[in-house]
Amino acid sequence: MKPILVVLLLGLFIVLTFAFFNATQTPQVSASIVGLQASTDIAGYARADHVRDFKFPDDHGPHPEFQTEWWYYTGNLQARDGRRFGYQLTFFRRAITPTAAPRESAWATNQIYFAHFALTDEKTNRHESSERFSRGAAGLAGATGKPFRVWLETWEATALNADGSRVQLRADEAGRALDLTLAATKPPVLHGERGLSQKSADAGNASYYISFTRLDTTGTLTLNGETFAVTGSSWMDHEFSTAVLGENAVGWDWFSIQLADNRELMLFQIRQKDGSIEPLSSGTLVEPDGTARRLSREQFSIEALASWKSGATGATYPAVWRVTIPAREMVLTITPVIADQEMRVSILYWEGAVEVSGTVRGVGFVEMTGYAGGK
Amino acid sequence: MQLTLFKTALRDQLRRPWMTLLVILSVALGVAVVVAVDLANASAARAFKLSTDAVIGKATHQIVGGARGVDENVYRDLRIAQGNRLSAPIVEEYATARELGAQTFRVLGVDLFAEAPFRTYLTANTTQVGLDAFAAFLTQPNSALVSAASAERYGVQVGDPITLVLGTRERTITLVGLLRPPNDISARALDNLILTDIATAQELAGMLGKLTRIDLIATEAHARALAATLPAGLRVASASEQAETITQLTAAFQLNLTAFSLLALAVGMFLIYNTTLFSVVQRRRVLGILRCVGVTGRQIFALILFEAAISGVVGALLGVGLGILLGRLTVALVTQTINDLYFSVTVRGVDVDALSILKGVLLGVLAAVLAAALPAAEAASVPAITALQRSDLESRLRRFIPAITTLGLALLVTGAATLWGINNVTVAFAGIFLGLFGVTLGVPLLTVALMRGVTQTLGRVGLLSRMAARTITQALSRTSVAIAALMVAVSVVIGVTIMIASFRTTVVNWLDQTLTADIYISPPITGGNRPTTMDATLVEKIRAVKNIRGSELIRNATARSPELGDVRLIAVTAVYNRVFKSANAGDVWRQVAGGSVVISEPLANRFRLREGDTITLLTDRGAKQFPIVGVYFDYSSDQGMLLLSLDVYREWWDDPNLSAVAIYVAPNADEAQVENAIRAAVGNAQVIVQSNKSLRDAALVIFDRTFAITATLRIIAIIVAFIGVLSALMALQLERTRELGTLRATGMTLRQLWQLTLLESGLMGATAGILAIPTGLLLSAILIYVINLRSFGWTIFFEPVPEVYAQAFAVAVCAALLAAVYPMVRLGRLQVAEALREE
Repeated sequence: MKPILVVLLLGLFIVLTFAFFNATQTPQVSASIVGLQASTDIAGYARADHVRDFKFPDDHGPHPEFQTEWWYYTGNLQARDGRRFGYQLTFFRRAITPTAAPRESAWATNQIYFAHFALTDEKTNRHESSERFSRGAAGLAGATGKPFRVWLETWEATALNADGSRVQLRADEAGRALDLTLAATKPPVLHGERGLSQKSADAGNASYYISFTRLDTTGTLTLNGETFAVTGSSWMDHEFSTAVLGENAVGWDWFSIQLADNRELMLFQIRQKDGSIEPLSSGTLVEPDGTARRLSREQFSIEALASWKSGATGATYPAVWRVTIPAREMVLTITPVIADQEMRVSILYWEGAVEVSGTVRGVGFVEMTGYAGGK
Repeated sequence: MQLTLFKTALRDQLRRPWMTLLVILSVALGVAVVVAVDLANASAARAFKLSTDAVIGKATHQIVGGARGVDENVYRDLRIAQGNRLSAPIVEEYATARELGAQTFRVLGVDLFAEAPFRTYLTANTTQVGLDAFAAFLTQPNSALVSAASAERYGVQVGDPITLVLGTRERTITLVGLLRPPNDISARALDNLILTDIATAQELAGMLGKLTRIDLIATEAHARALAATLPAGLRVASASEQAETITQLTAAFQLNLTAFSLLALAVGMFLIYNTTLFSVVQRRRVLGILRCVGVTGRQIFALILFEAAISGVVGALLGVGLGILLGRLTVALVTQTINDLYFSVTVRGVDVDALSILKGVLLGVLAAVLAAALPAAEAASVPAITALQRSDLESRLRRFIPAITTLGLALLVTGAATLWGINNVTVAFAGIFLGLFGVTLGVPLLTVALMRGVTQTLGRVGLLSRMAARTITQALSRTSVAIAALMVAVSVVIGVTIMIASFRTTVVNWLDQTLTADIYISPPITGGNRPTTMDATLVEKIRAVKNIRGSELIRNATARSPELGDVRLIAVTAVYNRVFKSANAGDVWRQVAGGSVVISEPLANRFRLREGDTITLLTDRGAKQFPIVGVYFDYSSDQGMLLLSLDVYREWWDDPNLSAVAIYVAPNADEAQVENAIRAAVGNAQVIVQSNKSLRDAALVIFDRTFAITATLRIIAIIVAFIGVLSALMALQLERTRELGTLRATGMTLRQLWQLTLLESGLMGATAGILAIPTGLLLSAILIYVINLRSFGWTIFFEPVPEVYAQAFAVAVCAALLAAVYPMVRLGRLQVAEALREE
């Protein structure tokens, strides 16, 4: 009789395990806007095909003649008790048509805004992300250069001074909120060739790319309804373009590193279908005095040391990297603050706070796209 | 605990693996029923929400008012300053679409980015509008979408221009895409609708800077708070009467699901209690021997509780898995028959609530430990030698029957008093529990009585039936608990079935009443500010259409009553399809035509009004008392309504306007033909012609999916009752191996033993089945007539479902008979001596 008992118990246990894991699958419904992001018709849009003169603060604002534009705020923050947080607040602008027909209604527009907001909490090992959409009209969402402001309903980045070097960030979502003041300690950095950042060989496959690489940050952060006073350091990327990637590109890995010796490092590599790295991948090293030095593909290497598989989506991402810049005698090990910083929004990607060790210490953010289901 | 003692106990357990397994199984089953019912409940609740959303939309309130609508800045402030994301701006206008049969269409301007919480049939992924169409819709001036069905009906294609006549102006719009709705109800919603971007609608309607309204999803309290922040002239209104009712219906549905969940808890508790109790009682002899060899009473007590806790934990964990599996499988099984992927996937995607798992595990462990505590305490306290005898326990129980029954009656009375006395849903549920427990305490007496009846009738026929009945009475300490547990399980099958059927009847009634007429003709309602009326000659034209059984002219209004405050009036020229609670419709109408009124059930319940009372209303000619001659069932407003004759209304109020004309199609006429004839008759007049019959049918189809999901509850209840009966009675029979061995040894044939065992088991199943019928009826009656009525003010129609009693009885008896099979097969294999040596 005993074996029967054992077999039955085992059977029930298997059933239990199956039922439990089966329970976590939920259907994913994506917004229609994602479709528009996949649109490839670029006729009529301006292209990033020449070096241009930037005028600030105007150029901190929107460039609606380009198809895509984003303002990316990321940062590493600490509460008074040392609890460590990461944040991301990004505003995207997307033009549906190259030009807007003249219309009477204030609601008419060819510009769509969407935004991503995420917080990372090292202590609880949690990362939560959310997104919003709006038309860029009727005061609901939009951007201006003078004074600088970009907003989507209640989420906003608003300049506190004339040149836009001091900015207030605000975002909130169900018990999670951010209210930060960012002050640039260095002037804007123009990546690539005076801000023209080439992404592949074809003319126009490039973006205009400007960064504030070090922004002293103070303010408050709210998580599960609990508010923390925080300080730390942020990074801001402003990029606009039309059709950046070449035909063979599958995704990119992007690094923004703030080193303890007051230098900053930006690196990106575009991965191609055949597994190779786009030769025009590049980087920028910013000196303590704000001088920006270009790094070409040959001057650095990025090596993934580990990988992480998302339990929620099944996508596998690199998880730890070794970045080597031989000419600078720099060898950095970059480790995510927590493993799961996957942005589970209508575009699936990984973007999260990282810890830097090696020849010099630091903190930063890493973004990885194109690892989930090809898109 | 001493290791030796523990080992002894363990060895004892292993010596009777079937008993151990049955205890664990019963705990697992008890926990599983709780978890599975919760899962099925969550699925049913989601299904109900999907159905109601499909039928009436998700908006609960809307901001309306202002000279020409709502200033668009109000929306921006709502969105940004107040951060209210459950809001959507709407610009709406009615226009005659020349290329679309010159019919009146509603031009609905929406902001797609705000629509997701509101109108799912508009989003691109469900309607497959296509990217280019979507981009054109957003950015091209004068672009619009219509449903594929409309385009087909009027022979227009994507790219075609459509001329809209808006008052005195004409505008040409371009069709940039077609909407393909996922189901009939969405298709209905898109009928006579031209969808545009909100900017386009503003430009078409000449409403620059203005919105017709802002749709909201809000609770009543939130809506009130929001109203206080609005600029002067704006107000928050209910999205529709249906939206108001549906909130009520949904709440009622939820309440009944909660009741099921609690009943499942009761069933689980009784099942666990029964088997655990039995397993301890059955080991009295072993425990007595342990006492005799010097184990203290305290050690025995600790040992039994420890064992119970172990099987409780193991059973509970298995039960959680089993429950999730049972819940998911039944839901998956049921949704398989539903031909709507979105619906099926959404309903199946319900997550298991952690609270429900916790509840189940706690129940499993606590019920097992509690059930073991009583007999353990008893076994620990009696003198060692007495513990060896069961007869002592049995005789004591029988002595206590009057006391137990009295206690049961007392509990029943207390439960009833609680139910009637205290107006609180939680307390009412507690009352049900008390009452149910009281009923189970009556089981020993009822069993003895029933068995006596069996002895006196069947007993004359054969010795075996008399023996069987007497055995049940002899072993009352075990049989009565088993019968009580099974009665509760089976009664829940009856209760659940009646509740589901009753609720469905109620929804059908509600649909019949909200969509009373077959065809409804009404002036377009825009913003709520313009006078809504219809021309008298138009009404005559409509009434002249052939194949009409009758028509009702309707005026909706509000009047003030000095005692009751604002009362909603519905003034009509005739009554069709209304169900009166008392008196007959024809008679009531004669009195209504003569100046009396009838009131809806919620109004009657709110103010304790009844037939024969009067109600005072402030009319345009001063205060006037109206006699109430009847109460009618109505779900359209929880505030209640007062129905009077239109002639009487116009006599007392200066209001010549009409809100609608309701048409009833002649019995054998084709509704679509009548509808088309009416459309032709109204010509270019700005009225909305809505066919309700097909809408009603479609709505019923949608709701029936929900009731298909609730069928899972029934399936779960039946499965649990079946396995419960099976395992409990099998345990009883296995335990009797030695006794049956003795009977065989004294000369009974195996055939006779088979008969005896089947008779015993069948009698117990039948007793549980018989007792379950009044208990189940009582449960559903309390839910319907006490809890629902009190919570919502209106009656759920009691649907007795005659076939369920036979079905429940059959479940109990079949499972009981099946329970006898294995022990008998086993006995047949055993040598007589072996059977006797069992212990």
